[in-house]
Amino acid sequence: MNGLHGIIFSYEKEPGLRELVEHRMPASIPFGGRYRVIDFMLSNMHNAGITDVGVVLHGNYQSLLDHVGNGKTWDMSRKYGGLRMLPLFADSTRRYQSEEFRGKMEALAGVRSYLEEIRQDYVVLADSDILINIPLNKVYQEHLRSGADITCVCTEQYRETENATFFVLDEENRVAKTLCSPKKPEGYHCLEIYVLSKELLLRLVDECAAEEKYSFRSDVLNGMGSRLDIRGFVWDGIAAQLRTLKEYYDRSMDLLEAKTYRELFAPERPIYAKEDDEAPTYIAPDSRCINSLIADGCIIEGTVENSILFPGVTVEKGAAVKNSVIFKRARVEENASVSYVIADKYVRIRRGSTLTGHESYPMAISKNTVI
Amino acid sequence: MKKECIAMLLAGGQGSRLYVLTENMAKPAVPFGGKFRIIDFPLSNCTNAGIDTVGVLTQYRPLELNSYIGSGQPWDLDRDDGGVHILPPYQSATGASWYKGTANAIYQNIGFVDMYDPEYVVVLSGDHIYKMDYADMLALHKRSGAVCTISVMEVPWSEASRFGIMSVDGEDNITEFAEKPKEPKSNLASMGIYVFTWSKLREYLIADENDEKSDNDFGKNIIPTMLGKQEKMVAYRFAGYWKDVGTLDSLWDANMDMLATGSGLNLLEREWPIYGRSTSAPPAFLGRDSHVEHSVVTRGCIVEGSAENSVLSESSTIESGASVEYSILMPGAVVKKGAKVSYAIIGEDTVVGENAVVGAMPDGSEGWGITVVGPETQVPADYRLAANHMLSKSMKEVAR
Repeated sequence: MNGLHGIIFSYEKEPGLRELVEHRMPASIPFGGRYRVIDFMLSNMHNAGITDVGVVLHGNYQSLLDHVGNGKTWDMSRKYGGLRMLPLFADSTRRYQSEEFRGKMEALAGVRSYLEEIRQDYVVLADSDILINIPLNKVYQEHLRSGADITCVCTEQYRETENATFFVLDEENRVAKTLCSPKKPEGYHCLEIYVLSKELLLRLVDECAAEEKYSFRSDVLNGMGSRLDIRGFVWDGIAAQLRTLKEYYDRSMDLLEAKTYRELFAPERPIYAKEDDEAPTYIAPDSRCINSLIADGCIIEGTVENSILFPGVTVEKGAAVKNSVIFKRARVEENASVSYVIADKYVRIRRGSTLTGHESYPMAISKNTVI
Repeated sequence: MKKECIAMLLAGGQGSRLYVLTENMAKPAVPFGGKFRIIDFPLSNCTNAGIDTVGVLTQYRPLELNSYIGSGQPWDLDRDDGGVHILPPYQSATGASWYKGTANAIYQNIGFVDMYDPEYVVVLSGDHIYKMDYADMLALHKRSGAVCTISVMEVPWSEASRFGIMSVDGEDNITEFAEKPKEPKSNLASMGIYVFTWSKLREYLIADENDEKSDNDFGKNIIPTMLGKQEKMVAYRFAGYWKDVGTLDSLWDANMDMLATGSGLNLLEREWPIYGRSTSAPPAFLGRDSHVEHSVVTRGCIVEGSAENSVLSESSTIESGASVEYSILMPGAVVKKGAKVSYAIIGEDTVVGENAVVGAMPDGSEGWGITVVGPETQVPADYRLAANHMLSKSMKEVAR
């Protein structure tokens, strides 16, 4: 057993994702042709040897529960430990369910009894909606080596400031300054992946609860920065959050770059997804299929270019799918064409229809829609 | 726990006619159709038909097969009550022996079958590609009151002498069985799929074991003996796709049948899914300058070159400037830059080096045939492997 325990936060927060979050939370948005966003963090944890993971849930989590099941996909269906789903139930003193998710410390106070039972000495906290393939064991080793109280993964690559936290680091990677939602980016963008000891986590949870503080970033990192040894772990690989439809689209299209595909799906650290049990994809004579990611179970008789097809998509004769992302079992019928479109599960584009979004404003089509 | 019906799957075959492909694994473990292995078909048929207890009889090179089947979870056969069980030959108080024949394999596992005290046992083999509802066959068995029901299909008369041929009366009662008859009296071929009433089969297995002259084989011994004793035996007519993939040519053919819409082999229909233990690879990536036509592609494939009329199994790669036609790339196979693969089977994790040429288009000559490269083979750059030749991991090249 390795000494690290995983806590993943999954909550509703991004209205910018529009149609994609009509039926689901950001964590369970389909991404990359066969994954849900949360698969990345669960796989990161599995690949780091973590066997016990708690997923803190707040909001419309039905689709997420359906996807992660018993955790078997990540080898976390275990007799002891394994994957635990932790919905924030209302109790006598707090009413989480009807309220918005205010912060990680408040959420953790709501699952305090779970935290007490953690078998490992260290905990990694992470968001569920970040696309990253990171060796968390290296972060953990660095945390042990440096003797820091809290180690925060951060990057220089991501410059978005809205609702973001930035760290200015000294030469020993100590956080010299924490900036919450700054006007201008400075230093390193915090990726909200933290390693700390179980003991410190429990102490912080109790302290915050006693003082009605609820945010990890502003109340712990910023508020207690002077008395805690907080250090940055600089990550120079790919890390992306999906906050708007446009970001979703751009990050999807990035996968068509071989370099991105190879890094995010590095064979030595595979991303695991629930098995779809689809047969291989059939590409018919006289069809054309280039620069695309194609999941299993598709039938392609038309044209597919610069696109991502999820399992079981059908592209009929004469149909064209270009610059688009088509979710599971959607169907583009004869002579229909779509471009710059994100079509959700089971969407049907009827014969002869033409749908065109724009690169800067892709068109999203809700689940089960027939057009 | 008592079960009405369990299945016994004969998976010990060496598959010697698959040559280099079965040097290190039993035939049922040979990859098929992009992401499956041959044994996925009978296992999936069982689970789809509601048979939740399956004994898999292994013997030859069982490691690959054992680890592939594992707990049986991909086929929903990881059960507390029943599920899939690997049954290798074992040592008993009176000695140990290999499975002498198909009937002996079941005989040695009478104890296993008795544990479930079934009314019926389905006996299957692990080298056929087909989708069949064994529940429907079992229903016929019960309805007719037969002791043994044998699944049969009509084959062209010209080919009938290659099969075990059943003659039947007007009610499909089997009247005669002839193994590879020179002058067939019927064109109903046995598919090697049997339903037995267990109490009867049990008696015959014990009697057969006591007969020192017997080969302890279902086709050669049990079936003819039952017929001779006037037992009621019924033919179950099957009309769907079925292929014995015991030879390199038939394995190639059956893979190609996935591309031929009229072949009857459709793995994409969802009513009768075939399950397999899959890898966690990402979706297939078809590059900017790739050309893929009339082919199947599977998760993990990376295609930058060209593929036509081919089966690209999971995590196989075709680099830029390479071309693959009328071929099967087994899982993890790599075709390097500028290489050309035609009418060939490329084994698992084999690498075809840059500018190598493997196989050739049919040229009408006597000596033409499918070219085969065994698993984990490194075909050197610029190597020429002629049509109808085989190359193994140890770089032994032979004409087929």
